[in-house]
Amino acid sequence: MRRPSLLLLVLPALLGGGCATLVEPLPREAEVHRARTPDGWELELVRYAARPAATGRPVLLCHGITANGRNMDLDSGHSMARWFAAHGRQTWTVSLRPAGSFFGAEGGTSPRWKPGYGFDELVDQDLPTAVAYVRRVTGAPLIDYAGHSLGGIVLYGYLGSGGQGLGAAAVLGSPMRLDLGGPVDALLPQVAALLNPGWYFPAKGPSLFGIPLAGMVQDNPTELVLYNPENTTHLTMQRLMAYGIEDTGMALLQQLAGMMRNGELKSRDGARDYRQLLAGVTTPVLVVAGKRDRMAPVPAVKAGYRALGGPKEWRLMGVENGARADYGHMDLVLGERAATEVWPVVLDFFERHSR
Amino acid sequence: MRRRSRWPAALLALAAVSLSAPAPAQEAKVARRRVRSGDGTALALYRYVPEGGGAGRPAVLLVPDLGFGRESFDLQGDGLAPFLQRHGRDTYVAELRGQGGADAPAAWALCEWASLDLRAVVEAVQQAHPGGPVDLVVHGYGGGLAIAAAPRELAGKIRRVVALSPAVAPEVPNEVVRRLLGTPGTLSRASTERVHELLFTREGNIGAARRGMLERAGPRDLGRSAARDLLRWMEEGDLPFPDGTRVRERFAGYDRPTLVVLPMLDNYAHAEFAEPLRALAPRARVQLKSLSKLYLQQEDYTHLSVLHGRAATQDVFLPALQFLDAADAAEAAP
Repeated sequence: MRRPSLLLLVLPALLGGGCATLVEPLPREAEVHRARTPDGWELELVRYAARPAATGRPVLLCHGITANGRNMDLDSGHSMARWFAAHGRQTWTVSLRPAGSFFGAEGGTSPRWKPGYGFDELVDQDLPTAVAYVRRVTGAPLIDYAGHSLGGIVLYGYLGSGGQGLGAAAVLGSPMRLDLGGPVDALLPQVAALLNPGWYFPAKGPSLFGIPLAGMVQDNPTELVLYNPENTTHLTMQRLMAYGIEDTGMALLQQLAGMMRNGELKSRDGARDYRQLLAGVTTPVLVVAGKRDRMAPVPAVKAGYRALGGPKEWRLMGVENGARADYGHMDLVLGERAATEVWPVVLDFFERHSR
Repeated sequence: MRRRSRWPAALLALAAVSLSAPAPAQEAKVARRRVRSGDGTALALYRYVPEGGGAGRPAVLLVPDLGFGRESFDLQGDGLAPFLQRHGRDTYVAELRGQGGADAPAAWALCEWASLDLRAVVEAVQQAHPGGPVDLVVHGYGGGLAIAAAPRELAGKIRRVVALSPAVAPEVPNEVVRRLLGTPGTLSRASTERVHELLFTREGNIGAARRGMLERAGPRDLGRSAARDLLRWMEEGDLPFPDGTRVRERFAGYDRPTLVVLPMLDNYAHAEFAEPLRALAPRARVQLKSLSKLYLQQEDYTHLSVLHGRAATQDVFLPALQFLDAADAAEAAP
């Protein structure tokens, strides 16, 4: 009977020790900022100065679901943020809630128990706060924006709701409908609806248990859903799992589940149909999809592109278009060749829409 | 030193190989006939008569993608056509202009493929099944055209449709296809230019022998005028018909129950070209089926592995048959 208790002691120690060797702290040039939302969340932003000098608008990068800002700035070899900074753009990353602390709407000074949150809060509170903060600190009337996965969907919500301050934007692997004939399309939303919207879906802790699996088992769930090993190394994914993952709000998952149920993403009060609202967007948007993205399949990403009203461009990252391998979900921001195959496309789009 | 004979070992190896090799598919009973299109073009129609004749159930007509032939559905006795035949369906494979053994006029248009040829073969099938509507299985860009013909030239003749990656909102999928169609219509150069795999089978779970057979088999050149039509359809997203209608406008009138199969790694007729059918044809009951390893399918599927992949029987053929048979059951119910 002693073995289980020993395991309980040893396993966290092993995981903790293993994770510690994976963690790469932010570099010295990273400047950490904090901005508070009207409803009392303190968001962390990280700034990199443009090198050697600014040649264009500041860029704000936003991560995907169950992730934090390190999603876009993982380590010295896989950082969209540092790459843009090195290409003349002052670059910021933001970590949306539930990263950061919650202080309450009345301006408290002590962190409180984090309340639940949904998609609407990211659209109405977090992104406006981050955009306004970057504009204020940099003095730029307009900034550019790139969002991965959920970071792109939040951008859609922001622009569709009339959000201002962006000169050009790019979304990478951001689905706008997920009812594509999968076997659990109907079931998952029903299960999600049974859960308390105030709860959190625990991703941070369980992801640590996935670290040893990465690379050991071919076609393990993480690999199947998130990346193509021909593009992203197992070590990179282990790093992401060690310090780039966050829990996520159940209410957020419930709202996103609408995209599986009937293809709709609506505000909780039903007043806003975020996909329909894209028809009124006038900000130029580049939409990038990964050919082998199983989390945001190409037709799901294309649905957002089709709904956009303003100037828009479409890029599909796959072998058929010259990439060395078909892109999976995380490959777009963490792939070994993303810096030569994907990010230059985004920068070029920003440059062409800089006036 | 006496040299040991290698014959016994060779015979043993031969026996082992013959035991481990898959048994050759049972010779399907196939009848071929010529069908004349509305303008006299000779088309080919192959009939796979099942045991018992398949009476009482709608015939199934399989139409390959533009430029592809019968081998899409029957590669040396293996494929969807023999599968449906084995499951009791009176099954037909059509080769329309520019496909397989059909004639290809010097200059032909995609609308003729859809409005003249398709109509002619559907009517030919109906001669053997008087009064009964036909089930259709269509593929790729030809699939999009067939769906466009359904509410017009084929009105009242079609019961249900299984559409494999039907391009209803096509775009130029990649520069390789643009080049092949633009130089002009030389789809057959896909093989000689070593892009056949990229476009049609890449990452598909297809045996080497079958992959080789598919590469040798096709596709055929479309010819200058049809290739220009196809490229224009991809570039503009719409295509005019001689009756003054356009493809997209025709989709609005389409109302057939349809299973749309989405092979996610199709590099020729992309999955995202097919998904919009439910929006373009709001009167049709469109059911999507994504093919993805995420859903525990054997592969993510490509343009030709959806028809010839090692697990296509389980992942594609059976769901297609269930879709067709479910309707049979519903119609038989009081």
